[in-house]
Amino acid sequence: MSIVIDTLLALLTIYLALQCLLAPRLPQTVFMFFAFGLALALAWVRLGAVDVAITEAAVASGFLGVLFLDALQDFSLSASPKRRGADKDSATQPEKQGWTSYLPGVALGVGLGLFLLIALEATWKMPEGGGLTAAAEAQLPHSGVEHPVTAVLLNFRAYDTWLELGVILLGLLAIYAVGGVKLYPRHNNVANDPVLQQIMWFFTPVLFLFGAFLLYIGKSGPGGAFQAGVLWGSIGILLHLGGKLVFSVIPRWVGQVLLTVGLSFFLFLGFFFLARGAAVFEYPPAYAGLLILIVETLAAISIATTLTAIFATLNQENKKEVN
Amino acid sequence: MSIKELLTIILLVAGCFFFLAGTLGVLRFPDLFSRLHALTKADNLGLGFIAAGMALHIASPWAAVKIFAMWLLMLLASSTSCYLIARFEKEKDAPKNRKEEV
Repeated sequence: MSIVIDTLLALLTIYLALQCLLAPRLPQTVFMFFAFGLALALAWVRLGAVDVAITEAAVASGFLGVLFLDALQDFSLSASPKRRGADKDSATQPEKQGWTSYLPGVALGVGLGLFLLIALEATWKMPEGGGLTAAAEAQLPHSGVEHPVTAVLLNFRAYDTWLELGVILLGLLAIYAVGGVKLYPRHNNVANDPVLQQIMWFFTPVLFLFGAFLLYIGKSGPGGAFQAGVLWGSIGILLHLGGKLVFSVIPRWVGQVLLTVGLSFFLFLGFFFLARGAAVFEYPPAYAGLLILIVETLAAISIATTLTAIFATLNQENKKEVN
Repeated sequence: MSIKELLTIILLVAGCFFFLAGTLGVLRFPDLFSRLHALTKADNLGLGFIAAGMALHIASPWAAVKIFAMWLLMLLASSTSCYLIARFEKEKDAPKNRKEEV
């Protein structure tokens, strides 16, 4: 029976991925992508990787979905017939650029092709007998946590996780560098809606509690900093949608501290024990559990702030009100 | 087959029926408002039936409380988003109507 379900799920995932690429209109692509994310999350659950499933559902379907919907609104405004006439003059200019305009596409294609080759080679050379699973589980008692995934992410391979935090921050910096591209003014009179206000104040504590639960349960089960960070970040997004602009309330330096506290504390911890004679990101087993919890909490705060900042920068109507 | 399993199956099938009805409504109804109606009303009822079926299947009081809380949150979220989408759609058309009146 379960092989039938797995086969159906695999077929559904591939079908949704194809639809995502082949859908004729942009809104269809976006909604197919939501469905694809959820199908992928289900597939991860069937594979027994609940951590990945929660992250996939929260980041790919949740956060990326919000960004895609926001972008969709921009595209629908830029493609509306009223604007099309005004943009006609500027639209003819890029065609004169010639072969140089294909360069980014070619570079991207070559890069993706190389990546595919590397991935194929890595799959080909996959060690038999589960790779490092046995080694990781043997060291589990020294890691300070009971859940193997958290032990690997926050202790054995903490360097990777630290870099991931850096990547998210780098993404935000790139968005800041490009700046809020305000193409068209928007009218936001939905923000003061009484129903939205009520639901906002109701969901804020619920989301906070659930995020804190996921953060704490990461010690012994599926959960952790990224999942909690996305949930806490969704509080910020909800508040922004309701017209309560988080980054205009808190001082600028507080926002900057919140953005970088996860990355910097993680780095400090890694090199603090390096100075005491241990390896980079090696914690003393006696305090490892507590240290991991602190790192995860700060990382979740940073992730939540970063995601909120990304949304706040990209969602232009709110940025307009700040200025 | 025990009574419990029978009840679980009935609840799950009822839930699937309402989901199917909701999906049919989304595909067949003519405009956004009636589609929203189909999506939120029928799907939430279907979700309620499936949640009840799963709670009965797991048969642990804590799991039942969690599943019920999930359903309540889902109800709140989906009805709010339905209302907001409907409001946005209504206000999008408002200036056009006003112009016609003038």
